[in-house]
Amino acid sequence: MMQIKRRPETALALAHSLPPAAAAAGEAETIIRVSDLSIVFDTAQGQVIAVDRVTFSVNRGEFVCIVGPSGCGKSTVLNTIAGLEVPYSGEVTVNGRLMQRPRPDVGMVFQQPHLFPWKSVRRNIAHGPRMLGKSRGEARAIADGLIEMIGLGRFADAYPHTLSGGMQQRVAIARALANQPRVLLMDEPFGALDAQTRSVMQDNLLELRERIDATVVFVTHDLDEAILLADRVLIMSAGPGRVLRDLGVNLPRPRSNAIMLDPAYIALKKDCLDLIRTEGRRAFDQSSAG
Amino acid sequence: MRRLNILIGALSIPLFLAAWEAIARSGIVNMVLFPPPSIVAVAVLEWVRSGQFFSDFGASLYRVVTGFTLGAIAGVTLGVLTGQFPLVSSLLSPLFHILRPIPPIAFVPIVILWFGLSEAGKLFLVFWGVFFTVWLSAHIGVQKVDRGLIRAALMLGTPRRQMLQEIVLLGALPYIVVGLRTAVSISFYTLVAAELAGAFSGIVYRIEIAQQNLQTGQVMGGLAALGLMSFVADRMFATVAERTVWWR
Ligand SMILES: Nc1ncnc2c1ncn2[C@@H]1O[C@H](COP(=O)(O)OP(=O)(O)O)[C@@H](O)[C@H]1O
Ligand SMILES: [Mg+2]
Repeated sequence: MMQIKRRPETALALAHSLPPAAAAAGEAETIIRVSDLSIVFDTAQGQVIAVDRVTFSVNRGEFVCIVGPSGCGKSTVLNTIAGLEVPYSGEVTVNGRLMQRPRPDVGMVFQQPHLFPWKSVRRNIAHGPRMLGKSRGEARAIADGLIEMIGLGRFADAYPHTLSGGMQQRVAIARALANQPRVLLMDEPFGALDAQTRSVMQDNLLELRERIDATVVFVTHDLDEAILLADRVLIMSAGPGRVLRDLGVNLPRPRSNAIMLDPAYIALKKDCLDLIRTEGRRAFDQSSAG
Repeated sequence: MRRLNILIGALSIPLFLAAWEAIARSGIVNMVLFPPPSIVAVAVLEWVRSGQFFSDFGASLYRVVTGFTLGAIAGVTLGVLTGQFPLVSSLLSPLFHILRPIPPIAFVPIVILWFGLSEAGKLFLVFWGVFFTVWLSAHIGVQKVDRGLIRAALMLGTPRRQMLQEIVLLGALPYIVVGLRTAVSISFYTLVAAELAGAFSGIVYRIEIAQQNLQTGQVMGGLAALGLMSFVADRMFATVAERTVWWR
C-alpha cells in the first residue's frame, strides 16, 4: 500500500491565518473549507487511502451534492466535515473553526434514520435541544414546530418502529434540524428508500430547503438526485477518492422531479455521464493493468 | 386441529398424574420410594399446615432475591464499565473470563470455609452465579450498541454522561435483560447447592431432611414447590422483560 506523508502542520496553519477576503469583497462567504484532505484507514491488509488530497469549499446557503461510485470516499469526506473522523493530513474548517469533534452547528442525516427506538417522534426530535440545555418545554415546542413542517403531526407520539422508512427519515431530518445547524450534512439519506418514496422525499427536501437557511452538503451515488437538488455538483473518482469536477447547476428554482425532462437538465446530465464514463474506463484500465 | 391440540395440552398433566397414581398403587414399585401424587399432596398439606412451609419458602425466596439483586446490580455496573471503557476492560475482563467458567457450585467448599453455615455464604453463592452471567451480557450488550445511534447522538451534542445513561444503557438493555433472565434460573441452581451445603431452613433444606427420614412424599412435594417457584419467577421476569424492551 502507498504511504502518505503527514504534511507539516505549520504550513497549513499559515495558509488559514489569511483573512477571509472573499466576504469583504462582497463575494459569497465560505462556510465549509476542505483543504488538501487525505484520510487513511489502517486495515488488516495494510493502509487504505480512502480520500486523497481533496480540496473544495462551500458557500453559505449553498446546496452542494457530492456524487461518486460507492466506496470512493464520499461518506468519509462527510464524516470528516461532521467531526466524526479526523483528517490524516489536511484539514476541515466550518465557520472558520477547525472540525475536530462533532459540533451542534453541524447536523447530520445518515443513510439509516438511526432514530432512538425507545423515544417517540417528538422526543427524538427534542433530543438535540435537550442536550444543548433547553428546557423540556422549549425543546418540545421546537419539536412540535418541526413535526408540523415535516407533516407528521398525527405521529408525534408514535414510536419509530411503527413508521415507514420514508417517515423515519423525515423524522431524522427534523431531528438534525432541531439544533438549528448552520450546516446540514446528508449521507445518501434516501438511498435505502424505494424509488417512489425517494422522489417524494426529494420534492419534500426541495420545499424544505426554501424554508431553512442551512448550508447543505448532500452525498449520493445517484446523478439524477444530485442534479435535481444541487446548486453545485462535485464529482468524485473511484478509490482513492479525489474530486474530478466541480459543476455549477444553473437550473431554475423552485424545482421538482419534473425538471428531469428539461433539455438543460438532460444536457448537464450527459456531460456528467461522459465524464464519469471516461473516468470509469481509466480506473478500470489502470486496475487491470496494475 | 388447533382445538385438539389445546384439549390434549390441557389433559397432559392430569393424565400424567393419573398414570403415576395408578403405577404407584399397582404394586409394581415400592410405594415408600415412589409414592403416588395423593400421598405427595397430603405431605404438602401437612407441610403448609405446620407453618414450616412459609418459613422455608421465605428463607429460600430471601436468598434468591437478595443474591440475585446484588449480583445483577454488580454485573450490570461492571459490565457497562468494561463494555464502555477499554482501560477498565483490560484490567478486569481477563480475570472475569478466568473465574466465569468455574461452575459456581464448585465454590461450595470454600464458601463453607469462609462463611461457615451463615446466610452470608448462601447469598455469596447466589451472587457469584448471577454476577458473571449478567456481567458478560451487559459487557457484550454495551459493545453491540448500534454505532449509528451513538453517532447520531454525538451529532446532536449529547454529552458523555447522557451518552452512557441514555444511549448506551438503553441500547444494551435487550442484551442485559436476556442475561438477567438466564441468571434467574442460575440463581435457583446455586440456591440448591447453597442449601444442600448446610442450612437451617429453606425448601431444599426441607427436601434433604425429608430424604433422611425417608419421607419421599415430602421430598417430591419440595421438588414441586421449587419447580413452581422457579417457573413463576421466570414467567414474571419474562413479562417484565417484554415491557422493559417493548420497542423491539
Ligand atoms: N472505518 C473504516 N476502516 C477501514 N476502511 C474504511 C473505513 N471506512 C471506510 N473505509 C474504506 O474507505 C473507502 C471509502 O469508504 P466510504 O467513504 O464509505 O465510501 P462511499 O461513502 O463513497 O461509499 C472504502 O474503500 C472503504 O472500504
Ligand atoms: Mg457511503
